[in-house]
This record gives sequence, C-alpha cells and structure tokens, in this order.
Amino acid sequence: MSVAQGRWTGVALDHQIQPASSNPVVLNGQALAVWRGEDGPVRVWEDRCPHRGMRLSFGFVRGNTLRCIYHGWAYGADGQCAEIPAHPALAPPKTICANSYPAETRYGIVWTTLGDGASGPPDLGPDEGWEGVRSLFVAASAEAALTALARFDFGAGATTRMLAGDIVEVSFGPELRMLVVVQAMDDERAALHAAAKGARATEERAALAKRLERLRADIEQA
Amino acid sequence: MTIRLYDYSLSGSCYKVRLMLGFLGLDYDRVQIDFYPGRQHRSPEFMEINPLGQLPVLEDDGLRLRDAQAILCHLANKHDDSGQWLPRDQARFGPVMMWVMFAGGELMAASAARLHDALGYDLDIEAARAKARAAFRVLDDHLTGREIDGGKWIVGDTPTIADVACFPYVALAGDGGLGHEEYPALRNWMRDFRRLPRFHAMSGIPEFV
Repeated sequence: MSVAQGRWTGVALDHQIQPASSNPVVLNGQALAVWRGEDGPVRVWEDRCPHRGMRLSFGFVRGNTLRCIYHGWAYGADGQCAEIPAHPALAPPKTICANSYPAETRYGIVWTTLGDGASGPPDLGPDEGWEGVRSLFVAASAEAALTALARFDFGAGATTRMLAGDIVEVSFGPELRMLVVVQAMDDERAALHAAAKGARATEERAALAKRLERLRADIEQA
Repeated sequence: MTIRLYDYSLSGSCYKVRLMLGFLGLDYDRVQIDFYPGRQHRSPEFMEINPLGQLPVLEDDGLRLRDAQAILCHLANKHDDSGQWLPRDQARFGPVMMWVMFAGGELMAASAARLHDALGYDLDIEAARAKARAAFRVLDDHLTGREIDGGKWIVGDTPTIADVACFPYVALAGDGGLGHEEYPALRNWMRDFRRLPRFHAMSGIPEFV
C-alpha cells in the first residue's frame, strides 16, 4: 500500500455521520467504526469490540456511549468500557478499552490516521463555509482514482490542481471551489469525498454530485 | 375479515409483508412453511396454493395473492385509508411503483447472494454480488439526491411501500457477504426506517437503532 501509515486521510463526510450512529469504514484494509454520540464530535475506532470481537459499526448509540450489538457493553468517548449490562454492579476494569484512532472534522470532511496523529489533518486554509457534496466509492485502486481525477473534465472554466498526494482542488471561479479527497480502502477499492465552498456551493450541490458520478464511471472504465 | 400469511421467518420477502402488516396495524394468522431444510414451498400441497412455489402468499377475505411486491400494493390499496403508503397522485404513484419493481427485480440479486451464503444454494456468487452492488449503488445514488433535495424517503415526504419493499434485502446484505461501507445514504435511510413507529426486527436486522 503506497499510502503512508502516518498520513491523515478523509474517510467520510461529516454531515453523513449522523448523530447517534455508528458506521463501517475501511481504510488501508483496516475496518473502522466511525461513530457520533447524540451530540459531539465524530470518533474513529477499530471496528472490533474488545469483548468478543463483534463489529462496533453494528452497534448503537445511547447518550454519548457506543454499545456493542452482541452483549450491550457500553464504551465512552475515551474508549473505556463504562458498563456491562450482564454485571450491572461491576465497575469495568480499565483494561477493557476500544482501540481508537485520532479523528478531526475539517472542511466538512472527517479525517483520521492509522498513525499517531501528531501532524494533524492537512491545512488547506480556513475551515469555515465548507459543506459536503457527496462521497463516491469506486472499484479501483486509490492511485488509479487519483490519476483519473486529476485529468477529469469538470466542465467549462473548471481548473484542477493537486494540493497534496491525495487531495485535489477544483476551482469553478471565485464563487465555487470543491475539494476531492481520495481514501484507499484496499488495493482494489477507493473512496472519494467531495466538499464545496463559495456563494454557489449550495445551489450547485446537485449538479456537482451528478458530475462526480460521471467521474466514478470514468475511474472504473480506466 | 381474516388475513393469513404463508410465512418463513428468515425470508426477506416474507419480512417485508410482515413489516407492512405491522405498519398498518393489521392482525393476521401466520402459517409457517418449512422453506429450509424442508423445502415445503415445493411440496404438492403448497404448489396448489402457489404454482410458482414461492413465499410469501397472502390470503385476505377470499383473495389469494403471491409476490411480495403485489401483496404490499394490495395491503396499502385496501387497508391504508391515509393513502400514505401507496400515494395515488400522479407525481408519486409512478415513482413508487418504479422502486417497488426495482425491489422485486434488480435488488433480488442481494437475496440470491444470501441464499448462497446462508442456505448453501448453488449459484454464481460473484455474479450475484456484483449485481447486488450495482443495485445498491443505484439506490444509494438516488437517496443521495433525495438528501440533497432535503428528503429522506425513496419517494415523497413519508415512507411508502417503495421503502418497505427495498428495505429487507439492503439491510440483510451482510448475510450474502456484502458490506454497507460503500453506501452512506443507504445507511442513513435504513436507520431512519428502523426508527419508524411499529417497526419490528427479524433475524439479521437488529431491533436496537
């Protein structure tokens, strides 16, 4: 896998990780549970309950705890097991802890890293005003997706430039910009997450989403 | 008035009929058919009830109906005075029927994948999964567009039989080796569906949302 382990990657659109939800994400072959409490930020954990290995993305949220679907063990925001329903009087030992990864929302996109997270997500300017357009999932490697993305025709007047190894900015003039972030799922699958900013971002969202579906077809035909 | 459902607990097609009966608050008798391993749906006795040898079958006041999609249409047509589940206006009727047909057509590839993995059916599993992924993508794209337009159901502002028809085999995808990672709009739609009043679960679809 060519994507460096320490690098931060966009793995979802913030608005699509709804309050009180847990969601499956695959990053570089690693299964993740991306979840949000009834309020508060998105968290990214290994998709595995420390008790019996059940996927935590199958779990459900109560308050700001994520509960495993198998035996209902509840995990707080810090990953510590907070409650074991079959043993209500027991204070769960500190050793029972979900494996968590750094997570941050920026530019309408949820970012994480499988490394230590020291560097933080990429700095592409002010965070304000970005809204998610849509995510795409392609049957192609991240490298193939990036190559097709970099040369895709987004329409008259659009200019595309590479901001980092896996981030492309598409400019449609002063009133509309779009970021497209590429996420390697495994060697054969990739995800693209697009967010837009500018005076025309909201009214153009449906058209941008349709254009991105063309990009998906392009990537898979390459 | 008596409603009788020839039923198999693990069938997604029977489940969509049970869901609809539940949403409409209808009482009914269940006749359990031993689909697996008994293959009772292919017995001479059952072939007299449905010559296609398929579940579900619904009997309602002397009417006998096969095909889950047809049964959903019948139940909403006869028993839903609000008209919510099968809208008759021109803007919604056609689209609802289009997605109901999709549920009985393209989406059944996900059922085939599940029959292979869960019940050992001999079929081309990779072809079934590829067709199921293509169908999931079509519905995920549609629901992404609905979300952009401020909607959350397949057609219109309320759940309809299109949502009921599509829900089971999307939700049961994992039984056929198909994950939900690639379908964020489907995930959010399924969560909304499971939060509906009178929703009930089946094996493979958790009650807790």
